[in-house]
Amino acid sequence: MNYLELMNTLIVEDEKDLALEIKEFLTGQGYQCDIATNGMSASEKIFVNEYDFVLLDLGLPDTDGFTILEEAKKNNIPSAFIILTARGAIDDRVKGLDMGADDYLPKPFSLIELQSRMQAITRRKHGLQNNTIQFHDFELDIQNRTLSHDRNEINLTKKEFDLLHYLILNKNRVLTRVQLTEHIWGDLLEEDNDSNYIDVHIKNIRKKMSVAAPVDWIETVRGIGYRARK
Amino acid sequence: MKLTTKLALYNGISKIIIIVSIGAILPLVISNVVYDHIDKRLTARADRVFKMVERGGINEIILEQDCSFESYNILKEEFVSIEPIQDNGSYGPKPDFGDEFISIDEEIFEHRVLKQAFLFDNQLYILKIGEGLSAIEELDRSIREFTFWLTIIVILLSITADTLFANILLRPFHAIINRKLKPDEHPINFVPEQIRSGTDEFEYLNKSIDDMLGRVRDAFLIEKEFIANVSHELLTPISLLRSRLENLVADPGFPEEKSIKLVDSLKTLDRMSKTIRVLLLISRIENKQYLKDEQVSIVAVCEEVLTEIEERTTEKEIEIVKQWNDPDCKILGNKSLLFTMIFNIVSNAIKYNKQAGKIILTLDHLGHDRYVLSIEDTGHGISQQHLPHIFDRFKRFEKQQGEGYGLGLPIVKTIADFHDIEIDVSSESDQGTSFNLIWTGSESV
Repeated sequence: MNYLELMNTLIVEDEKDLALEIKEFLTGQGYQCDIATNGMSASEKIFVNEYDFVLLDLGLPDTDGFTILEEAKKNNIPSAFIILTARGAIDDRVKGLDMGADDYLPKPFSLIELQSRMQAITRRKHGLQNNTIQFHDFELDIQNRTLSHDRNEINLTKKEFDLLHYLILNKNRVLTRVQLTEHIWGDLLEEDNDSNYIDVHIKNIRKKMSVAAPVDWIETVRGIGYRARK
Repeated sequence: MKLTTKLALYNGISKIIIIVSIGAILPLVISNVVYDHIDKRLTARADRVFKMVERGGINEIILEQDCSFESYNILKEEFVSIEPIQDNGSYGPKPDFGDEFISIDEEIFEHRVLKQAFLFDNQLYILKIGEGLSAIEELDRSIREFTFWLTIIVILLSITADTLFANILLRPFHAIINRKLKPDEHPINFVPEQIRSGTDEFEYLNKSIDDMLGRVRDAFLIEKEFIANVSHELLTPISLLRSRLENLVADPGFPEEKSIKLVDSLKTLDRMSKTIRVLLLISRIENKQYLKDEQVSIVAVCEEVLTEIEERTTEKEIEIVKQWNDPDCKILGNKSLLFTMIFNIVSNAIKYNKQAGKIILTLDHLGHDRYVLSIEDTGHGISQQHLPHIFDRFKRFEKQQGEGYGLGLPIVKTIADFHDIEIDVSSESDQGTSFNLIWTGSESV
């Protein structure tokens, strides 16, 4: 993932501690991070530096995040904007995307989810044509959501594919059931908060894939979650 | 019934009553007066006859040969007759008036007749003086006819005029109702507006409605702001905690066995944020922050839910039976909310089902705009004592392995209420549960 190197990111967040946590995580992933805790300094920084990413909180003490976004878009700032908000108003998502934001994540979000959204934006922006991922002996076609081994297609359901893809994107990192559930189910609110369904999915994925080749690289980390090892 | 119709009816009926009673009384009064006049005239004539008799004797009038006298004018409207009679005591000296049908030359005329007996030369005579009544009948008929047509014309005119006037008078009223009390308009968008009217009552009504809607709007706005604040104040610290814990878990130097506790904390945090989000969702729906302006195909939403939940049904070997009796049915609503509602019901139907059970989805058209979607399972069922409380918030009946927060069915209920969907739940222990969602029609297209 060398295209991620030296990605410049501005974190616009008035909750300083949260900004620092995001920064710590992204820095560890090879991003260069700045922090702005109010709208004024955010606007200033956006105009002076050319950021690849602006992570924008909507509820700032002095300005509304939308104002910053609007201003930046008017001035053709090329940065990718991801809205991070705890306000959760129904039309915020639509409004943000309409105004040119690249993505929207409601708080509390998973840092891993944030990073994978940033990666997706990078891939999209740089028009990376390589839509397949090789992992062990398997090939994932991201465009068509298919998995194959030696050109033999392995039939996964949409959710199973998404889960496998997410694990492989975050290879060598333990993903918790909550993170995995959130990734494949989104923010769907339902009675059943039981993340045991993830176990069922993993079981199915292993069963289907092991017909072609051993999948001991999909590891169960007891009490925590799963990891794709390479 | 419309107010204008009522007013017109009232006016019409009251005018009919007045005119009909005038029509009934007027001929009576008139004929009384006319009879009075005729009687006076007849008496005067009788007096003249008596004077003639006194002056010249009866022979002046009655010719010898026939001892009686009769005289008609040429139109047979008046006559005078004198004839001798036997005194049998039935005739007094007082004049006696009466109506008589008298046939003259084979024609019958009704006459007003004065009869008066008098004595002359020891002979009792009876004097009859008559006057035709056909003129009076004519008059009577004319009056009745006139009254009849007058009634009809007056009623038609008055109903037209009253309706027009009432409509003009009620114009501000309709304006107030139509512009301010639109059922599909959210009170949050209300802007007070002066509606001109010369009527004090309507001015007052307008002002009262403005005041009331203004208060409703303010209440909605305050609640909306409150919800946004609660959301921000609760979810921001959770977000901070989550990021912090995730950073710790991701730290390669952190011992894995201790990570388990952190992951458990993350799970708890997730449960907390979900509960908050569900409560916020319910509040937002109740605060009417959602639109329901999409044409939603119920079948399409069900199919989407089934696809989304496919692996769970496969895992439990549950057979899905679909009976779409009206597959093209579309209703007006909020698609993502309807999805959430149906998802929660189907998810429960799987969760509380038996291994290799069944879920039967049926969509029926009940006629007009009424649709029923029923979702039946073959699961454990809900006991009769719990059934009335399944939509209560935070109610959990059995301890489960999973971490349900007892808000799944309250979400269903809130979304159903928002869409005017009736929910009818029936359940039998160990037989299964059936959720019937009934679209009552007001929201259908």
